[in-house]
Amino acid sequence: MKHRIWQALAAFALVCGFAPTASADLTFGVTLSATGPAASLGIPEKRTIELLPPTLGGQKIHWIILDDGSDTTRAVTNTRKLITEDHADAIIGSTVTPNSLAMVDVVADAKTPMISMAASARIIDPTNPRTHWVFKVPQNDSLMADAIAINMKQNGVRTLGYIGFNDAYGDSWLSEIKRSAATAGIKVVAEEKYNRNDASVTGQVLKLIAAQPDAILIGASGTPGATPEKELVARHYKGKIYQTHGIANPDFLRVCGADCNGTLLPIGPLVVWEQLPDSNPIKAVAKQYVSEYEAKYGPGSRSSFGGHAYDAWMLLTKAVPVALQKAQPGTPEFRAALRDALEQTTVVGTNGVFTMTPQDHNGMDNRARVIVKIENGKWILVK
Amino acid sequence: MDLSIAALLAQDGITNGAIYALLALAIVLVFTVTRVIWIPSGEFLSYGTLTLAGLQLGKAPGTVGLLVALAIVAGLVETASSWRQGALARLPRRLLFWVGVPLLIALVLARAAPLQWPFPVQVLLTLAAVTAMGPLQYRIVYQPLADASVLVLLIVSVAVHFVLTGLGLWFFGAEGSRTPAFSDASLQAGAVVFSAQSLFVVLASLLLIGVLYLLFGATLYGKALRATAINRIGARLVGISPSFAGTLTFALAALLCAFSGVLIGPITTVYYDSGFLISLKGFVGAIIGGLVSYPLAAAGAILVGLLESFSSFWASAFKEVIVFTLIIPVLLWRSLATRHHEEDE
Amino acid sequence: MRGAPAVPRIATAAFVALLVAVPLIAPPFWVTLGNYIGLYSIVALGLVLLTGVAGQTSFGQAAFVGLGAYTSAWVTTQAPVSPWLALPMALALTAVVALALGFITLRMKGHYLPLATIAWGIALYLTFGNLDWLGGHTGIGGIPPLSIGGFSLRNERHYYALIWVVALATLWASRNLLDSRPGRALRAMKGGLEMAEAFGVNGARLKIVAFVYAALLACLSGWLYAHLQRFVNPTPFGINQGIEYLFMAVIGGAASVWGAVVGAALITILKEVLQDVLPSLLGRSGNFEIVVFGVLMIVLLQFARDGVWPWLARLAPARRARAVPAAAPLPSRAADPSRDVAILTVHRARKTFGGLVAVDDLSFEIRTGEILGLIGPNGAGKSTTFGLISGALRLSGGDIAFRGQSLQSLTPYEIARLGIGRTFQHVRLLPHMSVLDNVALGAYLRGSAGVLRAALRLDRAEEARTRAVAARAIERAGLAAHTFDEARSLPLGTQRIVEVARALAADPVLLLLDEPAAGLRFLEKKALADLLRGLRSEGMTILLVEHDMEFVMGLTDRLVVMDFGEKLAEGRPDDVRQDPAVLEAYLGGV
Repeated sequence: MKHRIWQALAAFALVCGFAPTASADLTFGVTLSATGPAASLGIPEKRTIELLPPTLGGQKIHWIILDDGSDTTRAVTNTRKLITEDHADAIIGSTVTPNSLAMVDVVADAKTPMISMAASARIIDPTNPRTHWVFKVPQNDSLMADAIAINMKQNGVRTLGYIGFNDAYGDSWLSEIKRSAATAGIKVVAEEKYNRNDASVTGQVLKLIAAQPDAILIGASGTPGATPEKELVARHYKGKIYQTHGIANPDFLRVCGADCNGTLLPIGPLVVWEQLPDSNPIKAVAKQYVSEYEAKYGPGSRSSFGGHAYDAWMLLTKAVPVALQKAQPGTPEFRAALRDALEQTTVVGTNGVFTMTPQDHNGMDNRARVIVKIENGKWILVK
Repeated sequence: MDLSIAALLAQDGITNGAIYALLALAIVLVFTVTRVIWIPSGEFLSYGTLTLAGLQLGKAPGTVGLLVALAIVAGLVETASSWRQGALARLPRRLLFWVGVPLLIALVLARAAPLQWPFPVQVLLTLAAVTAMGPLQYRIVYQPLADASVLVLLIVSVAVHFVLTGLGLWFFGAEGSRTPAFSDASLQAGAVVFSAQSLFVVLASLLLIGVLYLLFGATLYGKALRATAINRIGARLVGISPSFAGTLTFALAALLCAFSGVLIGPITTVYYDSGFLISLKGFVGAIIGGLVSYPLAAAGAILVGLLESFSSFWASAFKEVIVFTLIIPVLLWRSLATRHHEEDE
Repeated sequence: MRGAPAVPRIATAAFVALLVAVPLIAPPFWVTLGNYIGLYSIVALGLVLLTGVAGQTSFGQAAFVGLGAYTSAWVTTQAPVSPWLALPMALALTAVVALALGFITLRMKGHYLPLATIAWGIALYLTFGNLDWLGGHTGIGGIPPLSIGGFSLRNERHYYALIWVVALATLWASRNLLDSRPGRALRAMKGGLEMAEAFGVNGARLKIVAFVYAALLACLSGWLYAHLQRFVNPTPFGINQGIEYLFMAVIGGAASVWGAVVGAALITILKEVLQDVLPSLLGRSGNFEIVVFGVLMIVLLQFARDGVWPWLARLAPARRARAVPAAAPLPSRAADPSRDVAILTVHRARKTFGGLVAVDDLSFEIRTGEILGLIGPNGAGKSTTFGLISGALRLSGGDIAFRGQSLQSLTPYEIARLGIGRTFQHVRLLPHMSVLDNVALGAYLRGSAGVLRAALRLDRAEEARTRAVAARAIERAGLAAHTFDEARSLPLGTQRIVEVARALAADPVLLLLDEPAAGLRFLEKKALADLLRGLRSEGMTILLVEHDMEFVMGLTDRLVVMDFGEKLAEGRPDDVRQDPAVLEAYLGGV
């Protein structure tokens, strides 16, 4: 305790003494949701950014990481601060869709490239001219939803029940799975919502079971995803249970325990990189990232969300050197060059392979998802 | 909806209602003695579960840090007030109580965690640790405000809720925890299965409601404690110090909340910020009881539990909207009833 | 309210100069912060009026901000409607919702109201998130920016100008409002509804007015927010934000309009500073700002309940009080009734509390132009009778009529409107207000300025006349030297005289005085007696409830003596003095 206080005082002195000054160094501004309802996604992202190297293409990098507490006003304020105070060359963030959507206008006005770590395809909607400056690293929810629908079809699922968060994450999954399921000829027979910290979901689960779906999808993130699943098991639900990649962290496995055996979910390949064939180009990148991350935060601490932050970095490692040839960091020309370079980038990340085009500012394909099964507290790749 | 579903929903509602009832009791208890509207009661519940879960994992729970921090602040407050009153002679004894005891509990908690003591011992440790935070909170926050209006105390309570949630995230992290069930047994009654866990929750709540009712309704000491809320000077005249009454009350209330945390742990996942909504629902129960009656408060809390359970079946997206909208007429009714009461006095 | 009117012009000018300077010379991020401070100030300003002044605590203001933001966002994205057209729609909708909520929840007392605001704060927030046509939890994007006469506000500096023009305008209007007839009534509510209603203030209505006013300010802020941000989703309108708004008002100083700005600025800037400093200080991230805000609130409420503003206000030199300029008096309220007829008739009045009979079949009358004394030993039922006449208590039986009209079903403020003025046994002045302002409240019924006229400062002529009336009443009561003193600075005896002056300012036909001589020294009593005699000679009728026999004997025309709730004797003072029953009651008990 005491040590920490002295360390903190020393750090405070440092902060006061060396206020960041503008220079030809690179400045990357990050705003993410390390607190608030999306904290379980934002925290691994933040931890990953803290692992990233301090130089790129021979240039020193200033990393500025801000927390937006899962709140849109805060995300916008942070973005403005990063742009006007810190003269960021690129913005990374935010963690959740509403925040990222709110930031789109800000970066468009400031002509600063932004790499979002939120899932919705609306953030990079090519029909909206304001998204010209915006890129996105997570898989579109639709890509993941399609994976679930395909797997369900293979397993002979005809009817589906959905229970998800009563928030943007849950809403987005509900609309995506309805679309994917319809394409696969699966009928969604029940839709239920619950809150992250609800003490009980018995009512919703009873209603789901009463609709007798062949499978149930839970649209939640982090440990709260375990609440409906445990309730379903306790009520002897016999069908298949699917989760989304939002839950993939060790705390979920700890809380859900044996009740989650057999659960299926789509996820970025990094979580099961050990089980990927050597021929998969993602394996090497994922190995590099996961070993670095777990060396610091403990074995099994990996999460695909941390991978999103790392993938943003992978994009930058490719695009920044290109942009550096055209302009000096800290200038509008550099930011424009960086944006143009990002739009041309092809790079292998931890969650997939990115092939950016002017029409597609995500650029991921089917390699960006695998289906895994939970068995005895482990993620097992379903081939 | 058939009968078995209705029965299951009722069981769920009553179980949750029983937890709300325990919080409602703590809230009524605190209000009747100190006039504090104890919004942060929910945080004590989550601290209870999270402490026990930490012990289960063999990790020193965040409670250790919290206790140490609170003890230090309480020590400072106590020193300052003794200094001002010129009663430094009493200081060592007070420091022993306000700093020594919490630090001792924190030390035991930190040491015990990796040893994986048997479950009942872990429960006792958890209760001790969280209970200790009640009086500390009273000493630091509420005692200096003993003469403030109910409204000021309410705003302070909301501020305390903010502080405890922020500290909760710091000490316990964003992810939730569960604790193992006391028993996996279940009872079959017709088509409906009752889990032993929910029966235990309900029985424990009933028992505590009875005990509190008797304690405060029938014993002289309980009545005297209640009297301190109405007439602080009078209480002092008959030999009850309001600050002692406050300390005792917050200890009891914290114990109640910690106990509900232990009870709820196996039923659901608890997060650092689970407390607010649970305590608000406890509140509604308490308000139905007019913030004075234990049995009515408990009945009100059960009603909230049932309402919630059935509305989560009918319209899950609007569950909280329904629950919180229905509170308003209840508040109105209580408020009008109370006014009438005051007029007649 | 000692802060608001006392701010020197120069300080206000300095503040405006600072506002103008920010976009010209400060770094651009200051403009961003300035925008949010302005937006939050507008909401906090509403809370100053609602909570700080009228004493009604609300945690739910964020929901009204959301109502404003969502209405405009939805309307302008659905159809090519100008945001300026959406504003009146948003305000109208908010007014309707606030009226409905206020109608239900403002009847609640004490802690019930704030709990109710938490409840509807949560309910409205979740409703925004669950309506698909409002974009659900994800929100509505692509909201058009504001434009003024074809000039589109695209960058933050443009919004800065607009937001602060609006903020200063609302600040100006709110300050005007507080310094006016409705404002005085609003401030009086903190001294207890009973006191305000004794001067004709309809407390319930006024509370709703304050509530709607605060909601409309919140809505205005939300409207600006939506078009500044050009994206809305539910998170900024949740209960936590609502709590933060209240914190802003309380931390800044909820008793002054400037407290709103100070609070909003303090919290917004503190948040920024904390975000920069705390993670490096503590070596990890967390939701520390709410911890700091919470601690700040607790410390503040423990040590400085009035917030930061009073400390700041003390730094500025106080504005010297100026003499009250002469103005024509306000119109008199009631024509002089003819002399020596019954004006108030108490007929078999009865009041029971549970099983206890406090007033038992009491009958007497007061005749115009007389001073009637109501006396009796402790517990005789004098105060209860006083309460029955003034409407503070309800009759259990019998009737009381004023100029032939029964008072039985009237509220205290309706009774005040009939021309009955009163004082309180326990002094009910607003301690922080000047004697002049306190007395001016008495003239409430003689003016007519409403909220809108007051906010736009169109009430100055009437206000000058009100102040002149108040000054005259103070002078008559012999307190001219204390006109600008804070009421709390006067000794208790003098405060009683201020109460009499306040009642006089109402120009009543019948004046009810509840133990006005208690705590007065000999010379003060003599002066009071002279004042009352003077009033009688001008035709005023006075009912005097008093303990002090000597004072009563020399002053009154007739006496009614009560004991155990019943009338013991009635008549001229000299006769009553000889009455054996009275002697028995007074002396026998000794």
